[in-house]
Amino acid sequence: MQKRGLIFYARMYRKILVQDLKSKMSYRADFVISTFGMIMTNLSGFVTFLILFRNFPTINGWDYYHMLFLYGFSLVALTPVQCFFDNNWNLRFMVQSGDFIKYCFRPVNVFFYFISEVFDVKGLGQLAFGIGTIVYAWVHIGIPVTPLVIVKLIVYLLTASLFMIALMNFAAATCFWIKGSGYVMVIMFRFKDFAKYPASIFSGIFKVIFTFIIPIAFIAYYPSLVILQPGNVPPLSWISPLFGIVFVYLSYKFWMLGVRKYDFTGS
Amino acid sequence: MSNEAVVMKNVCKDFKVLNRHEGLKGSIQDLFSRDYKTVSAVKDVTLTVNRGEIIGYLGPNGAGKSTTIKMMTGVLEPTSGELLVNGKVPYKNRTENCENIGVVFGQRSQLWWSLPLIESFKLLRDLYMVPEKDYEEMIELYRSLVDIEPILHKPVRQMSLGQRTLSDILAAFLHNPAIVFLDEPTIGLDVSMKAKIRELILGLNKEKNTTVILTTHDMGDVDALCRRIIIIDEGTKIYDNDIEHLKNYFGSYRTLKIRRTDDTWEEYLIDEKTTDVMDVIMEKQKEKKIKDVKILEISTEEVIKKIYEGGAR
Repeated sequence: MQKRGLIFYARMYRKILVQDLKSKMSYRADFVISTFGMIMTNLSGFVTFLILFRNFPTINGWDYYHMLFLYGFSLVALTPVQCFFDNNWNLRFMVQSGDFIKYCFRPVNVFFYFISEVFDVKGLGQLAFGIGTIVYAWVHIGIPVTPLVIVKLIVYLLTASLFMIALMNFAAATCFWIKGSGYVMVIMFRFKDFAKYPASIFSGIFKVIFTFIIPIAFIAYYPSLVILQPGNVPPLSWISPLFGIVFVYLSYKFWMLGVRKYDFTGS
Repeated sequence: MSNEAVVMKNVCKDFKVLNRHEGLKGSIQDLFSRDYKTVSAVKDVTLTVNRGEIIGYLGPNGAGKSTTIKMMTGVLEPTSGELLVNGKVPYKNRTENCENIGVVFGQRSQLWWSLPLIESFKLLRDLYMVPEKDYEEMIELYRSLVDIEPILHKPVRQMSLGQRTLSDILAAFLHNPAIVFLDEPTIGLDVSMKAKIRELILGLNKEKNTTVILTTHDMGDVDALCRRIIIIDEGTKIYDNDIEHLKNYFGSYRTLKIRRTDDTWEEYLIDEKTTDVMDVIMEKQKEKKIKDVKILEISTEEVIKKIYEGGAR
């Protein structure tokens, strides 16, 4: 029997994605409206942010452009979860209606098969917005552009996105055990807003919570320090990629545990 | 490969259910209580399904049919007992098991909702790693059995229920699995579509020697497809034999149909061992005038009804 390895899954994902995009294009109105909606959401978030920080020039030593950088960083870091893992939002409906069982009948990984089904194009607008913001802030802060810094930026952006992916996996998988998992997801998704602020503004207990329990501080703050304060990077920032990988792995295991534990009662 | 597609030995499946209490006080109690009760969905079921058979797996709602199928497909783990599908333990080798089975579950389409059928087929071909040649052959076979052209380029979401069911069945056979599970495949379909689907299932079973395990409440399906039926009720197997045998068991039963002068038909099920058919007719005659009388053998539908009501136990 042939083995299904990483190459198989990568190729399969690409094929499903291409088909999905093709069919999405066929709903042109839907496509246009959702893109427009995404731009407006980002724009309003951005304007709120501008107004707020025009009036408070520094927060805990963070000036306007550093805050902007952090903001852009969190936007980019949220893109993968938005684009690739959006089907997590549908999980609880599928589980409650019993439709989820169809993902268990294919000879491929259930998580992969479920997640691959939806690719959300709207996330791309957010990505463009985030990159724009980063570049703008970057220029004003005057960080030198070297290949090393660029590599660091990419690595730590990916790291940051891992935490968001893991958080949403955990939140979505709670639906295998509890009925009100929608709230868990919404709360988790709201938490991401805190990621736009430097974790140093949170005091004591919150800092611990946001670092170790619900690690949203890793969604932008810790990883971005590598770029913003190259002379003074805390150890937590350096090891955050490792944390991110472990956290995603745990969230995946938790998700799959839910699938195995779930009763699939009714037909 | 051995001749057995499915072997079940003393398989049980229990579910833990929280004991719910009534009223507001009860609900609050439920929040904290760990008061579980065990519900046995499948109790000590032993059965064997041979290759190439079409089995009618019947039982009233909630009898444990779906639970059995979910165990066979590797989604649920049996609480106890031995279960082998194609010689393997399904729950322990879920992905491997899935390569050799096809599943159609009720009215739930498993195809990509927005894709044309042919694109879904191609994705499935890649998922199951079906060689190009086998894939082409299968599509040719489909062409010879049903008229697939009108649906091939249609997105699943635009299909009628019948077309969707047809598509799902075709998709389930696409990788030429050893066993196909069909859970109420003809539910909600019109007569001609039902006939078409039955013909297709028979054709595929004949061509590919695919084992088919069919659950249904439609005795038309059973009559058209199955020689052997297994009946389960309250988690226990209560019948496992040929349909003919079953009809013989109820051989003394007759369906008496009486037409009154106003052209309404009345139906009575009569056991000839205990009651004389002529007596009944005479009695009915006294009540009201009779225009026409028919005496029929017991239908499968009525046999099954009898069994559900406890006739064979």
